Amino acid sequence: MKRVVVDPVTRIEGHLRIELIVDEKTGRVKDAVSAGTMWRGIELILKGRDPRDAWAFAQRICGVCTSIHAYASVRCVEDALGIKIPKNANYIRNIMYGTLQAHDHTVHFYHLHALDWVSPVEALKADPVATAVLQNKLLEKYGAISELMPDPLGHRAYPRKFPKATPGYFRAFQEKIKKLVESGQLGIFSAHWWDHPDYKLLPPEVHLMAVAHYLNMLDVQREMFIPQVVFGGKNPHPHYIVGGMMCSISMDNMNAPINAEKLAVVEDAIYTQAEAINLFYLIDLLAIGHIYVQKGWTYGGGLAKRRVLGYGEFPDEPYEDIKGGDYHNKILYHSNGVVEDFAKGVDKAKYHPMVGKDFTDPEVIQEFVAHSWYRYPDESKGLHPWEGITEPNYTGPKEGTKTHWKYLDEQGKYSWLKSPRWRGKPCEVGPLARYIVTYTAVKQGHVKPSWMDEMIVRQIDTVSKVLGLPPHVWLPTTVGRTAARGLEAQVGVAANLYFFKKLIDNIKAGDTTVANMEKWEPQKWPREAKGVGITEAPRGALGHWVHIKEGKIANYQCVVPTTWNGSPRDPMGGQGAFEECMKDTVVKVPEKPVEVLKGIHSFDPCLACSTHLYDTEGREIVEVKVQGGLPAC
Amino acid sequence: METFWEAFKRHGVSRRDFIKFATTITGMMGLAPSMVPTVVRAMETKPRVPVIWIHGLECTCCSESFIRSATPLASDVVLSMISLEYDDTLSAAAGEPLEEHRKKIMKEYWGNYILAVEGNPPLGEDGMYCIVAGKPFLEHLKESAEGAKAIIAWGSCASWGCVQAAKPNPTTAVPVDKVITNKPIIKVPGCPPIAEVMTGVVMYMVLFDRIPPLDSQGRPKMFYGNRIHDTCYRRAFFNAGQFVERFDDDAARKGWCLYKMGCRGPTTYNQCGSIRWYNGLSYPIQAGHGCIGCAEKDFWDNGPFYERLTNIPVPKQEADADRVGAVAVATAVGGAIVHGVASKLRNSGKKEG
Repeated sequence: MKRVVVDPVTRIEGHLRIELIVDEKTGRVKDAVSAGTMWRGIELILKGRDPRDAWAFAQRICGVCTSIHAYASVRCVEDALGIKIPKNANYIRNIMYGTLQAHDHTVHFYHLHALDWVSPVEALKADPVATAVLQNKLLEKYGAISELMPDPLGHRAYPRKFPKATPGYFRAFQEKIKKLVESGQLGIFSAHWWDHPDYKLLPPEVHLMAVAHYLNMLDVQREMFIPQVVFGGKNPHPHYIVGGMMCSISMDNMNAPINAEKLAVVEDAIYTQAEAINLFYLIDLLAIGHIYVQKGWTYGGGLAKRRVLGYGEFPDEPYEDIKGGDYHNKILYHSNGVVEDFAKGVDKAKYHPMVGKDFTDPEVIQEFVAHSWYRYPDESKGLHPWEGITEPNYTGPKEGTKTHWKYLDEQGKYSWLKSPRWRGKPCEVGPLARYIVTYTAVKQGHVKPSWMDEMIVRQIDTVSKVLGLPPHVWLPTTVGRTAARGLEAQVGVAANLYFFKKLIDNIKAGDTTVANMEKWEPQKWPREAKGVGITEAPRGALGHWVHIKEGKIANYQCVVPTTWNGSPRDPMGGQGAFEECMKDTVVKVPEKPVEVLKGIHSFDPCLACSTHLYDTEGREIVEVKVQGGLPAC
Repeated sequence: METFWEAFKRHGVSRRDFIKFATTITGMMGLAPSMVPTVVRAMETKPRVPVIWIHGLECTCCSESFIRSATPLASDVVLSMISLEYDDTLSAAAGEPLEEHRKKIMKEYWGNYILAVEGNPPLGEDGMYCIVAGKPFLEHLKESAEGAKAIIAWGSCASWGCVQAAKPNPTTAVPVDKVITNKPIIKVPGCPPIAEVMTGVVMYMVLFDRIPPLDSQGRPKMFYGNRIHDTCYRRAFFNAGQFVERFDDDAARKGWCLYKMGCRGPTTYNQCGSIRWYNGLSYPIQAGHGCIGCAEKDFWDNGPFYERLTNIPVPKQEADADRVGAVAVATAVGGAIVHGVASKLRNSGKKEG
């Protein structure tokens, strides 16, 4: 047995360490340890602040999935105070959210994940003429995928961003890489395990095409976020307000934040998203994924085979509340539920819905700390976010010193992440989880499918046909996790087109309201209120829980996607999705575990999100050592 | 190492386009057109500078902002202008090979590489609230700073402390200049900084081989010399006393001044009002929200954000914002009167003539 450490894990957000115990004879990963290695304390910092400011603080939990924590935050404060936002604000927020999905997934695929699959070194061996021919073939072969995206606007005359299929284009990229190699300054491509046998799985022309698109999309991605800049004023970290949006609309005054010209800018950007995803991302994804699956790469599913969780998104119209259940009456994306044993087949999978009451029930969502650097009075039990305790309890590693680790102690405490559990059980979250829940919900007839649910089912069935495998075989794998993300990016764009049309139609009907200011002043709030804000972050199910008292935040909790996926073990021995994925993977060269990096990256980890903080009690916490838990409700 | 001009030639860029690019960059950096030949000369002779970009406690919004840069595009900066040898977000490699590479680059370019720091070190728990390669980030930072020519402190985290240092600062997070005191540090605050400000700072440093002129707080003067209030397109409404009183009211639809909604424009030094975000597309005030002052020290604790400015500490400002406003209004009115008088005189002169 060999113990392999990868620290830092790069091409992620934040700080993550993994340790693997590998059977050198078989390449099997016998056990794996995933440790979040940062802690910031944002929720502690939120205590005592004005709840209307919370979105700005919470948003700084993550700048990669920027805007999503602001979104969850305004939702939980509105849920607490009973504020229903206007129609236009709902449509605009949906476009900002769909834009995040489209952008974040694209950047993840190309800039955080692609180099696990393709290599600039292999790209040097490609023939640019053959690469151009290949590009055309792939557009023919997989191009039909773009037809799955409905376009209710129909304003684009023809695509502006289209993959170039000329030898000169590919030669230019190849020359650039060649010069980088020759100059000895490889920059971002330095020091990687490019000699790993997995990089031989694809023909050189696929490598060149994908590396060219890596660079091409680095230039294009910025344009995809334009709707957030128009509606929110900047990106990263656009602005929001409790009660709706601040970007007032006027068709008479060009000084208004939103006018006809600005709407045209948004529309153009949505089409750019569509072209980047339909013509680059999905084609490259299918080309690479198809070959990997054909070569037997159907592992890395891990926990996804057994249990996944989602919360649901895209409210079609404004809702009354979340905790009371109306949010889930209005959503188009029915990923709200837990599905167990999907790998046995969609008919045999067990489906459990997740609706309003499940988010306040102390038994449904809990966090454990038996293997986290925190202290509970009784660490055999989990606590609901509203009752959580955060008392740091750093214990150091198994081998090495407190500040210089050799190996972590998986028998004891080993991570700054807690372990969230659904009814005491670990779940995987993320695009793959959402796709499994939605597909199961529709196929088993638990929901009346929306147009979005139907689109998702069509996407899954189309890819199943391409791969020649049923969904329960290809979806819960590392390739399937990466594929679900790409398909979901396309859903994000479809939602943007759909909500953009609704926005235009509503303005046309004479409604320009974007904010409900009835309860803006704290004097109009109840003495005490509690709210839940849920959303589907790019990386998975996200929930914020707030407790407002006398106009101030008495308690604020976030349970975030990478905490679910990257969590350490729970006291019952259950392991999180990262660890399960690694254990479901075979490595060819133990000291160069590229396969494991593929698996970990397929989750799109975000460690600043997952290790921000959990809970506290009310007093001064400069000395964080002794916060007892204040039962917050 | 090859120079920019060589790199551009490799790209197939013509001499003419190269000069055009140099001209654009000159403007971007706030330099006079007479500086174009100097910029061209610098680009012809300077090799690509190695950059080590490390991450402490942060949210990666600075890296995300950096890749949003349009002029220059981030890809041109990363592949042709600098050599980004270590970066948590973009580096292909991970783990030990990457750490070894960092050490190799430091040794090879001792005294010549730039260290870019995103985020900050926590001092609590012996630094173990932020761990890189099994060691405190604090150690990682000190070690990486040792042979650096200069340090860029990206964003408000590295410059001031930002959100994790807001009260009560549970991890004792501190800005970079609290632990590195023997190196030039360029602070580029903002949460995040504007993309073109970030690439502009890098361009200045690699082209001129020196750090940009800094103000008393360590910020590049060219980008942090003006208050947003002074460059805001809504300033005329402030001067005229026309204010938004409530989100989405009639005044909000007319784009009036957001000062009464808590706007921090009068006390925030940044380029939002002039170069704006996304090459001039917008900035928070243009989208109808007051500035929250994200480029200023301790802005998180100068809230609540929707409370009108009265007594927040303002360095080097003669009066509080209300008085500044009053004076500005008076001047504007005075100006209008003078202007009115002058045009009357002119008109009467014409008649007589």
